[in-house]
Amino acid sequence: MAASPQPGLEQAGSRGPASRRGSRIVGRMVESPEIGIILAVIVAMVVFTAINPLFIHVSELQNLGIDLAGFGILAVGESLAIITGGIDLSVGSLTAFFVVVSAWLNTTAGLPVLLAFAVAVLFGALWGLFHGLVITRLGVPPFVVTLVTFIFAAGADEAIAPNPIPISSTTFFAVAGSTVAGVPIAMVVFVVIALVAWFFLERTYIGRQVYAVGGSTEAARLAGIPISRRIVTAYVVSGACAAVVGIIEASRLTSGTADSVSGWELIAIASAVIGGASLAGGQGRIIGVVAGAALLVVLSDGLIFVDVNPYYQRMVVGVVLFVAVVVDRLRVRRLERLGGRTGLEVGTDPGGGGHSAASVPETS
Amino acid sequence: MDTGEDLVLAGVRKLYGPAVVLDLDHLVLRRGEVVGLIGENGAGKSTMMGVVAGSVTPNAGTVSIAGKLLGTGGTLEAQELGVAMVSQEFPLVGQLSVTENLLLGRRASERRVLLDRRAMDDAAKGMLATVGLKVQVRRRVDSLSVAQRQMIEIAKALGRKPLVLILDEPTSALGPSESGRVLELARQHASGGGIVIFVGHRLHEVRAVADRVVVLRNGKLVADLTPAEATEPRLVREMVGMEILTGEELAAPAEGATLAFEARALEAEGLGPLDLKLRHGEVVGVAGLMGSGRSRLLHVVMGARASTRGAMELDGANYHPRSPLDAVNAGVGLVPEDRKSQALLIDASIRWNVTLAILRRISLRRFLLTPRADRREAVAIVERARVRCRTPEQSAGSLSGGNQQRMIFGRWMAARPRLLLLDEPTRGVDVGAKAEIYKLIEESRKEGMAILVASSELEELIGICHRIVVLRRGRITAQLDRSEFSKERIIAAAAIDRTAA
Repeated sequence: MAASPQPGLEQAGSRGPASRRGSRIVGRMVESPEIGIILAVIVAMVVFTAINPLFIHVSELQNLGIDLAGFGILAVGESLAIITGGIDLSVGSLTAFFVVVSAWLNTTAGLPVLLAFAVAVLFGALWGLFHGLVITRLGVPPFVVTLVTFIFAAGADEAIAPNPIPISSTTFFAVAGSTVAGVPIAMVVFVVIALVAWFFLERTYIGRQVYAVGGSTEAARLAGIPISRRIVTAYVVSGACAAVVGIIEASRLTSGTADSVSGWELIAIASAVIGGASLAGGQGRIIGVVAGAALLVVLSDGLIFVDVNPYYQRMVVGVVLFVAVVVDRLRVRRLERLGGRTGLEVGTDPGGGGHSAASVPETS
Repeated sequence: MDTGEDLVLAGVRKLYGPAVVLDLDHLVLRRGEVVGLIGENGAGKSTMMGVVAGSVTPNAGTVSIAGKLLGTGGTLEAQELGVAMVSQEFPLVGQLSVTENLLLGRRASERRVLLDRRAMDDAAKGMLATVGLKVQVRRRVDSLSVAQRQMIEIAKALGRKPLVLILDEPTSALGPSESGRVLELARQHASGGGIVIFVGHRLHEVRAVADRVVVLRNGKLVADLTPAEATEPRLVREMVGMEILTGEELAAPAEGATLAFEARALEAEGLGPLDLKLRHGEVVGVAGLMGSGRSRLLHVVMGARASTRGAMELDGANYHPRSPLDAVNAGVGLVPEDRKSQALLIDASIRWNVTLAILRRISLRRFLLTPRADRREAVAIVERARVRCRTPEQSAGSLSGGNQQRMIFGRWMAARPRLLLLDEPTRGVDVGAKAEIYKLIEESRKEGMAILVASSELEELIGICHRIVVLRRGRITAQLDRSEFSKERIIAAAAIDRTAA
């Protein structure tokens, strides 16, 4: 390949070797935040275990797994929306809504458990489809439409279940209550969803196009990518994920109780951002998002486990999120600096016509 | 001579890097004068306006306005000295009302703190009346047409009661009657003792309005003419200079090359009807002034803008793209004008950028994107388009402009289109990179692609095209074969109103 740079033509190569090595390490940390997050998860586990060795007891790990399944699945769906450059605020109250709906389908409507699950997930996907269509057809900002449905869903679950809807099916309970080889079923579901999402994003051409849409919608459109379909896909997945988490929570609560979860959309967004998904779109890997969710779950469960006052837990989560957001900003600023560099070249163009005297037509 | 009442530019020089973009010895603009300022793209007009308006700080020389020296205080200082500029990009706030825009940063009445809405509206109405625009002052500016916004911008400038009024192509967005009104306003301002700098691309308008016509070429003042001297042929000659450009060696398309693309009576908003034919292996240039529809034509062919009428054919097959996706599937590619916002995934890797338009093709079973195939294709494209990089994994943003442009070329060459559309293919790249891009164009041509290239640089089109079509207000006003190429003919066809076209 034509690798030898001509002096002055390649800007990245113009720095000294020492500073380049230093900036490369920093650059790698900035470019792949996943590594840092995974390390943070391990450190947190070690610290909590050192304080109280029971933290890595099987039953505690199983609890951790179920918590992680809920937040993690939401975060995976959320990260798709974020990668397209949008956001899905609805997932928190949508999850609470599906806690009620899944119980209602099974108990009140009398559907067999698995059919009730299927209907709930389909409903979630349709809800996401609605988001996607409103965003792409009507041009409503994702923030707005998902905020609207967030409010709607927050009321709808109370309307459906003024009183908790009891669940009696043991199959339903099994989702959060049973294990396979010691691993909670909910956790297995999460792992499967995360793997499928990873595969979709990194091993299919459609996944790559999803990133491209978030990176630059106009560039993606002019490169022949069906941007609307890609955006709609992301919201469909996010909606379906919220339904899955609703089922898991209903199973854990053993009833369809209204207002059972709140604020989860923020945890989902936080997980994605901590894991390296840029709110500007176009960036973020599933492994990072999963690690981000794991960090939040380990921190919040761990702090409870070592008897830290709940107020401090929230504060710690806030600090972690702040650090993540700052890192995100630094990353964006770094990109803007690079973008600004190209902008400058374009900017000098009006005057750059001075060149045009020198640019006698050259065809070879 | 300098009465202290005039605008004087003395020894003003501006350099961008090594390039001298403006170099004026001594230019005096007197009160009561409308001075027409013309020149080709890049002749230094914008820089000169910027210097007077305070947005460009010259490297040497002084600007004095009515005897006061303009310091380094930027646009604010220039405004205080009485300069108002109406630029082509209107700095209006779309979400605010007409009144709010007109009175931005000013207060209409003596009442402090609170805004007196009625007084503001009245003041705004008065300002609109001077320019003869009838719109409701409470309307949001983004609900108005471009022409209306242009008039508001002029009203805003006049509202500051300036000494020097700079109008940068003020009529390019306007229809005939509004244009007439603007010319009238310029005359009024001058007869009221002001100075008007009128930058225009329609030569007949400049002649009609100006007391003097100043021509810039390559940053230098090359002619200072009276209206009587400033005939259109003379102006064109002064703008272009004496250089005579003959076509260099350029291999003709293969004998008997078939028709690749044909448009018949093609129409879109602001474009056409026009007819256009391209053969395989042929490079056709699209020339025209800003706003003549060059980019628009390319975007319509790419399916990025809807055509409203007419027919297109690709290799004899009916072609009616509803989206760029249709275009790509039919074998059309576009290297867009604005690399940063229309082409690059700036934070993604070079690999992601170059394989973007062929993702589906390189995927296994048209679905599975294996890292191996992705990398293999990326390396091949980077080599072919001669993108200089350490690795295809580095980010697109880390490349120089020329390298980025070659990368985008690589993206489309890999897609092997029948028809490749190039919009300002060498904008913002240095001279060396330009030559390499011309080489890529030539290589693509030899492979049999038909290439339609829109450019504001005439030397470029003259150098690389077999044929040039000239657009004016969305219509083709001239089709020149290589033997007929001359800048004068092109500029004449692009700029001059011919009643019998």
